[in-house]
Amino acid sequence: MNLLLIIRRAFWLGARDYTAIFTWKTWLTNWFVRVVAQVSFFALIGRMLGDPGQTQFLLVGNAVLLAAMVGMYAVNMVSWERNAGTLPLLAAGPTHPAVVLTARGSYLILDGTLSASGALLVTAHLFGMPLPWPRAAIVIALIAVVAASAYCFGILAGSLLLGFRSIQTIVTNVGLVTLMTLCGVNVPLDFYPEPMRWVASVLPLTNGLVAVRLAVTGQWQAALFPAAWEALVGIGWLTLCLLMVTALVRRGRRHGTLDYAS
Amino acid sequence: MTVVTRDAVTLAPFGVPEPELQYSAGTPAIAAVDLVREYPRKRKDPVRALQGLSLTVAQGEVHGLLGPNGAGKTTLVKILSTILLPTSGQATVCGHDVVRHGRDVRELIGVVMGGDRGLYTRLTGRQNLEFWGALQKVPRKVLRSRTEHLLERLGLAAKADARVETYSRGMKQRLHLARGLIGDARVLFLDEPTMGMDPVAAREFRKLIGELRDEQRTILLATHDMTEAESLCDRVSFVRDGTVVATRSPHAVAGLVSAVQGLELDSADAALAATLAEVPGVTSVTTDGATTRILVRSQDDFPRLLHLLADHGVTSLRTLRPSLEDVYVRLIGDRGLEV
Ligand SMILES: Nc1ncnc2c1ncn2[C@@H]1O[C@H](COP(=O)(O)OP(=O)(O)OP(=O)(O)O)[C@@H](O)[C@H]1O
Ligand SMILES: [Mg+2]
Repeated sequence: MNLLLIIRRAFWLGARDYTAIFTWKTWLTNWFVRVVAQVSFFALIGRMLGDPGQTQFLLVGNAVLLAAMVGMYAVNMVSWERNAGTLPLLAAGPTHPAVVLTARGSYLILDGTLSASGALLVTAHLFGMPLPWPRAAIVIALIAVVAASAYCFGILAGSLLLGFRSIQTIVTNVGLVTLMTLCGVNVPLDFYPEPMRWVASVLPLTNGLVAVRLAVTGQWQAALFPAAWEALVGIGWLTLCLLMVTALVRRGRRHGTLDYAS
Repeated sequence: MTVVTRDAVTLAPFGVPEPELQYSAGTPAIAAVDLVREYPRKRKDPVRALQGLSLTVAQGEVHGLLGPNGAGKTTLVKILSTILLPTSGQATVCGHDVVRHGRDVRELIGVVMGGDRGLYTRLTGRQNLEFWGALQKVPRKVLRSRTEHLLERLGLAAKADARVETYSRGMKQRLHLARGLIGDARVLFLDEPTMGMDPVAAREFRKLIGELRDEQRTILLATHDMTEAESLCDRVSFVRDGTVVATRSPHAVAGLVSAVQGLELDSADAALAATLAEVPGVTSVTTDGATTRILVRSQDDFPRLLHLLADHGVTSLRTLRPSLEDVYVRLIGDRGLEV
């Protein structure tokens, strides 16, 4: 019970932190417009290829990618936390830093879901492939699963920063490029050889995207299995993240690296 | 002949040590035994920040840590607050081992590190406090009123809803203190908590510590401010090179170097001054307007000096007791800026 309260508090803390940068207006004008343009760009490439199937493939892929992208911003959140110097104080408190860190960025799941769903709905409308309502609701739910599992992956990547300094840009970029290329956003999954598909299947986004693609065409029952797989992948990364932060905090206690220093 | 101390208390025989303060028996709030902490260095021997430090702090005691830069005060505070593991040795907080039962320790303590880092700067002071309170598992209703109370008590009420990045350094430091208090900790570790505070705020802070003491909280206070230590602490420990060299009540520290450092006479007789300067054991004689100050090397030099003064008809004099700062300088050694 207490844990839930702490998670809720941490969520709000993160959300308030976020609303200190973005207001609804700036979110719409600075961020949302940009991501809609990005998705439209890829959909346009599909249209230039003259294949409606291709257009839809690229449109859906790049829209859902946004959920994963926002999840990867967890890396920045962790780095910010580290720079703020709160880590030693968290480590001296009764709530484990692993819980605080994972809960604190969870607003990104909401942000990712909103960004991806919004971009998908708007762009699909622009490109004349509107999603009828009940179907859209299922799609949004599936996107939320992707956003959550990508966030778990992002927070793990971010927690690496606690142990290994100044690799923030590398972590974010490698993470993003991997997700972008391997997970079936612009290139179908079966394009890659078996071992790479294997890797892709344990990354966030891959299975969730399959599920969304199915749901978009109305096959929502078929979408259930990959969606569950996506959720499982997320839980896996989350577990790994909790273990990692716990190990890094333990290491910090031993080496004296839990410090104010950035 | 009347011998009057500076604070107008009759000084009976010289050099009688004041009794150590007595505290209630039972589990000490803090007990450190033979703590050693080494920091590894590249291609060099490790730094030994603590070299077998031992310290006991009773429940409800306000205990000061004094010592030069690099003495190991922060390292000790970190070990006690479970942020750092000792290389060897043992430490307990309210009977809980800081290594094996860190979790229990963390339920009991509040930590305030000096400086303005460690806050969520994009959030308001109130939001910071409410968040840390939640992490400290303070029930919601209590948290709201306690946040209000602490903001008020630390003079932050007017800035409560402004983002912390707009706070001055001293205000951040005050917020830190409020953060350390939000969990209602029984044991507080304060590492240079008044760093960056203006004098008025620092005085308010001292008042606050007094109140916390009245609430029977235990406080370990690392500070470079002698006045602060003198006015707040039940006892102080002098830390040098990773060990405690002495622990006393601030009023008894004088006994560490010598209970009385010298005498002050209401007379500026040049001839007498010249005679006094010749007395073995007298290290300096200075006259200034209507008074003469005589400093001696040790306690043993007093009887002879007093006889001489009596022979010269001096009947009124004051003893010069060293301040905490004098003791600090003598005990720690005047090492200048060397660390
Ligand atoms: N993370 C670290 N890595 C290596 N050496 C360290 C580290 N932290 C402290 N030290 C060293 O340990 C010794 C004790 O440092 P500590 O910070 O405990 O001193 P302090 O008494 O708090 O000093 P100050 O009054 O300046 O705050 C110093 O020699 C310092 O250089
Ligand atoms: Mg220090």
